Amino acid sequence: MEFPAALFPSYFSAGPPREDGDSTPAAGWGEHGQVLEAGSNHRQAETAFVPRRGGMGESWEPADAAAVPLLPPNASRWISPLAPQDILYHGVLRRKLWAGKTAATLDFAKQLGHFFVDHPEDVFGSLGQLLHQNFFLGNSKLRVSVCVGVTTPLPTLPLSAAGSSFCPFSLQRGSRHSTIRMTALMEEIDRLEARRGCHKRHLTPRLRWFSHLCRDWLFEVPLGLLADCVHEELLQQWASLLFNDSLTGGALAWLPPEDTGVRTGCLVYPGGQAMNHLCILLHGVSLGRERSGSCCNALSQHTGFQDVVLEELPHAQGSPVQFELNGRIQQVSAAWVDGEDFIGVRSDYHCGVWRMPGRVGVAPTPLQVIRTDMPASCLTVSPHLPGELSVCTQSGAVYLWNVETGLHRLRCDPQTMFFRDHSPWRWSDFTAHPRVLSCADRTGLQCLDARAPKRCHFDLFKVGEEAGCQQGERVVLPMYLGRAHPSHHLVTTQFSVYILDERLPMVPVLKWAHMMKDAPLFAHLTPGGLGRSHKVLLGTSRTQELLLLQYQGGNQSAYQLVGPPQKLHSIAGCLQHLPAQLPHHHHLLQQRLSIPAAGLAAALQEDGPCESLTVFQLSEAGDIFCQRLAHEAAQPPTPTKRDEATQPTSRASPHPSLAVPSLAAALRYRHWLKALSKACGKHPQHTCPPTFSQKRLFTHRELETQAGSSALHEQARQWLRQAMQEGGSIRGWDTPAFQPSPLPTPLEPAGGMDSLSTRLTAAWSGDWGQWWEERSSFNMAQRQRALRERRRRQKRARGRRSLSASFTSSLTYQSELSELSDTALPPPLSPTQLPRPAGPSPPLSPVLDEALLSSQSLRCRGIPKERRKMLRDYLSVCTEGPPEPPGSQSSQACIPHSQGLSLSQACIPHSQGLSLSQASSASRPRRKRPRMGF
Amino acid sequence: SSHEHKLDFKKSKELCLSYIQDAMLQKQWKRAAEFFTSYVEALEKDFSRERVCPSEMIWRIGSEILCHHSQGNVKEFNSFIEQMKTLGVKRYLKVCLEHVFHLLCNGLVEEAYQNLALAESWRFGEQTAIQDQEMKLIQAYRGLLDYYSWSKQKNILLEGGECQDGLDDLSAEQEMHGCFRKAAVNLKEILKVPGVWDLFVKCYVDLLEFYGDHEEALQVLNEYAYNSKFPANPNAHVYLYQFLKRHGESKKSLISALKILHDLVPSHELMIDFHAMLQKSKKRKKRRLGLEVIFAVLDYSGWKENVKAWSCLARQVKQIVTSGKHLEWIKQEWSSRKDWWPAFHFSRYWAKRNWQQNESLAYGKALVAGILLGKECKYFKYVSHQGCKAQLKRFRVLKRFVNKNNLVYLRISG
Repeated sequence: MEFPAALFPSYFSAGPPREDGDSTPAAGWGEHGQVLEAGSNHRQAETAFVPRRGGMGESWEPADAAAVPLLPPNASRWISPLAPQDILYHGVLRRKLWAGKTAATLDFAKQLGHFFVDHPEDVFGSLGQLLHQNFFLGNSKLRVSVCVGVTTPLPTLPLSAAGSSFCPFSLQRGSRHSTIRMTALMEEIDRLEARRGCHKRHLTPRLRWFSHLCRDWLFEVPLGLLADCVHEELLQQWASLLFNDSLTGGALAWLPPEDTGVRTGCLVYPGGQAMNHLCILLHGVSLGRERSGSCCNALSQHTGFQDVVLEELPHAQGSPVQFELNGRIQQVSAAWVDGEDFIGVRSDYHCGVWRMPGRVGVAPTPLQVIRTDMPASCLTVSPHLPGELSVCTQSGAVYLWNVETGLHRLRCDPQTMFFRDHSPWRWSDFTAHPRVLSCADRTGLQCLDARAPKRCHFDLFKVGEEAGCQQGERVVLPMYLGRAHPSHHLVTTQFSVYILDERLPMVPVLKWAHMMKDAPLFAHLTPGGLGRSHKVLLGTSRTQELLLLQYQGGNQSAYQLVGPPQKLHSIAGCLQHLPAQLPHHHHLLQQRLSIPAAGLAAALQEDGPCESLTVFQLSEAGDIFCQRLAHEAAQPPTPTKRDEATQPTSRASPHPSLAVPSLAAALRYRHWLKALSKACGKHPQHTCPPTFSQKRLFTHRELETQAGSSALHEQARQWLRQAMQEGGSIRGWDTPAFQPSPLPTPLEPAGGMDSLSTRLTAAWSGDWGQWWEERSSFNMAQRQRALRERRRRQKRARGRRSLSASFTSSLTYQSELSELSDTALPPPLSPTQLPRPAGPSPPLSPVLDEALLSSQSLRCRGIPKERRKMLRDYLSVCTEGPPEPPGSQSSQACIPHSQGLSLSQACIPHSQGLSLSQASSASRPRRKRPRMGF
Repeated sequence: SSHEHKLDFKKSKELCLSYIQDAMLQKQWKRAAEFFTSYVEALEKDFSRERVCPSEMIWRIGSEILCHHSQGNVKEFNSFIEQMKTLGVKRYLKVCLEHVFHLLCNGLVEEAYQNLALAESWRFGEQTAIQDQEMKLIQAYRGLLDYYSWSKQKNILLEGGECQDGLDDLSAEQEMHGCFRKAAVNLKEILKVPGVWDLFVKCYVDLLEFYGDHEEALQVLNEYAYNSKFPANPNAHVYLYQFLKRHGESKKSLISALKILHDLVPSHELMIDFHAMLQKSKKRKKRRLGLEVIFAVLDYSGWKENVKAWSCLARQVKQIVTSGKHLEWIKQEWSSRKDWWPAFHFSRYWAKRNWQQNESLAYGKALVAGILLGKECKYFKYVSHQGCKAQLKRFRVLKRFVNKNNLVYLRISG
């Protein structure tokens, strides 16, 4: 273990961070840092110097235009993530607070209110039962009945029931004094609801009086306690929305094959609906170019997804071994010790360790699981001793966990090490000495000797002047870089990345401002061999950024950051390369792809002179994307015969033009999209189209009597019946006259000015009078044209009606109907049309519409007055066109049911094709079950 | 609307910056340069008073692009930096320093020296603490360059001293001494400030040694190694040790220098020398320390497969066992390691691997394993079996030795 003979010069002083740190957005550029003499040959004519940062690094060029999915989309019933507006105050109060520059205000009252409305039984259950008799919600005046057995209106549940229900109950004498009438109170509450958002709303005295009286005893759960819990939960949600550190370390691990020549390795990742399945791709992921036929077959049998041979892209083989765990997997860490892989898996309250024998294809065995009282924040696997791990919990405890000897607590300190910081996050990792562990919190790193943790420890890194930190800088991710050099450590903060050498504690041997938009939570090291640079990948969660850095040194030469940093593709970046989507599909896809990242892994593949680095990125939804970086020194790959036949264009040049993804990648995108829409469309609640019951519309007799009135009626009825049986809808009520108008004519070309600008222009140039003339005449002409148009339409309608000559209908109704069908006809939503009634359906004439719908004809059929409206509504629904196709209903799959606290009301592009009644129910967002109106 | 305009301007500026960053992070230097020119233009029209000064960003981004751009050359870089120097007073020294680094890395030592001299003479009002530090660094680098020219002249004089006439010699010598004085003053200055000054210390000590000022050199090195305000730099101790060794100091002082290094960095490469030195000592205490040192070295994963370290340990262990004295030393060292060394060093996996890769490493380790863990130890069994199978004499001897001393194992672990 050699130490560099000379280090780059740097100042050293102790103390808190300096106040005037440079926080320019470009702080990482343009600096060499320091220089050092390269080699100590004084006899040379000129001394050569090397910079601390700069110089030429290795060249790793992305091989494709974007990241490519590695596996089919994870079949999670994916709920759109919580957004700030879900839990923050809106409206007046927020604006007021914003003006005062206060920090974000949690809308605590709203959450509590939702809870009361959603779970009235849980909130007011037993007291509601008890007080049942004493509250009266009816409209009538409260009177006392003397005789026993008279039915009196009484409510079932106070507050929760909006309407009054009547239940037979006999009031006893004297109950007049113990019953209060709640109707007025309810009305006032309703009025309050109506005035929501009003500046000057005051609680009425009656409400205040009531809440004052009831506050202490009305609630099942004591209000204070409930409020505390809700507030705590809200705070936690808000904190994790700002910065979610539970994912630190990442939940993706790559187990490289023992022999670097082999092209398959294992990928360990979380999957399943709740990300609680530990998946291990046993047969591994093949990184190679040549693929054997057997692998291909195995693949098509198992997954049916990647049954296409994809050259140059990593490829999953077989189906993964899955272990169902008890919680969401937050971190997966792995280390290769003594010819075996050890995999540590952390969820909030459980940590487990698996052993994976070195041979590919042998199933991993679970070794041990521990449960923690506080959420665990870190789990790292020892690279030195088999079956040894280190665990940290949020209570500030650090444990050395040996599978054979159990847990050994090294430290338990709820306080942070160097200065006070509120974060309970702790981390620990291994060092060059197998018995010495590094422990970290947000303020720095310390090394502890596990044999005498109280006595033997030293500070490795401290947020302060020693490392040239900025104010507010905090440790985000420490990582042991033992595979590069036994004494190297990486520390990332939200501003910078540091490389430390444990032989020279407190002084970072390298520091660089990474300029990433979010704090890097994930890191991966690909060690370089002799004379090569070590590749460090940094990844952020929220912004999905990936950055490749290279450093070298630490043995004989001093540490250098070589080459410029390089940004890699993020998952969201492939959106632009996906086939064009409908707007709301696009929106959903965008949401899915820009979910925060949850892990990062990389695999180095050496194939003779060619080297390539495959980078895997995991998203919180469980999707894994990968990209390949080719080492510049590598030769262009020799195409196989198969390639030449299928994709001549992409192979023509060694570096395909990076504007478009290769054919193979495009194919993969398509498969992935198909699988995604299939997975999302499976939502059981929304697959069945809305159903209508026809029982209450027509009696059997009513339908019978009119048989044979006309062939058209008969046909219509037949369609109706058929449509009802199939559960579809009838299309074709519309006639050529009522065809949906083609796309609206485009507005004036972009150069065209609005009336104000034209007027001003005219005024400026002096001919304002002329403008006025033109305008008024234009308006006149326009009005005349409109009038003429209307007249013509009326005439046409009249003419049509005369065809039927059986009845007259009010003109207003006709126009109403045409308005409806004009505006409500939706543009086709998706290329796949709804199953239409079988057989060609000639368009129905509007006569039929009118004939069926006019009140006269309805009356003569004996349909009661109150049902006529219903019937009209129903039929108008049918004229409106198809309901949303099942594919596009995935949009609804992501509406979360508001329960308690997770109140993320996703804004969904509302499809126009829903029935009116449904649409109106959906516009009332807090109603759980939409009423169909029938 | 003027506010809106301002906001739009700010937004477009930010957007432009993000484009530049994006291009730079993808190594598209040409594209970045195009965006950068429009960004600079935008800034010219910017009269807003923001906290973050844009000139720093221009300097950083501009010099980065010029460094990597295919058409960038030193001349262009120089003219760009000269403009940057005039842009910000606060950053003048830093820009100068970075400029010098760039010149040095491109081999333009002469120009770099001129720039340093120019920067040194710069004065502007009261200096902040950072500017003070930067000024000191500038002086130190100038001293360093002076040192290099001194050493060049020294080499010329030493090599071609005979064939040149005396007059030239004299002036050259005088020039050399001038360089020495300049270098010494500047280098001495920076060594007073706590920091990592490996480069400067080495040069300064070299100068002093040449002129025979050993006391001053020793003092500087001692200060650099032992001043608690300085970071715990292993190199400081290494330089001190090397200096002491060069000047034939006593074993005792050498040992004490290395002892401190051992306390600081037990895994340092000099620990092998230290162990050898202690082994040669007559004193029991020293030999005891030697055992401690070599055990500590082998604790570290970086030394795991080091043949030299293992043979050192094997030799000392064998010596102790054959002499029969001081078995308690081994026992003490072993007690804190017996729960993890077997898995760390003496597993079957490592036996196989060591045997395949390095026979003498396997021999040393097997000896230690046989003594510490007895003849039933997996590592010893595997290696001695393989050795005997390969009919190697020393493995047969080893097997006999371990079998004979199997009782030692019981005494150590008991």
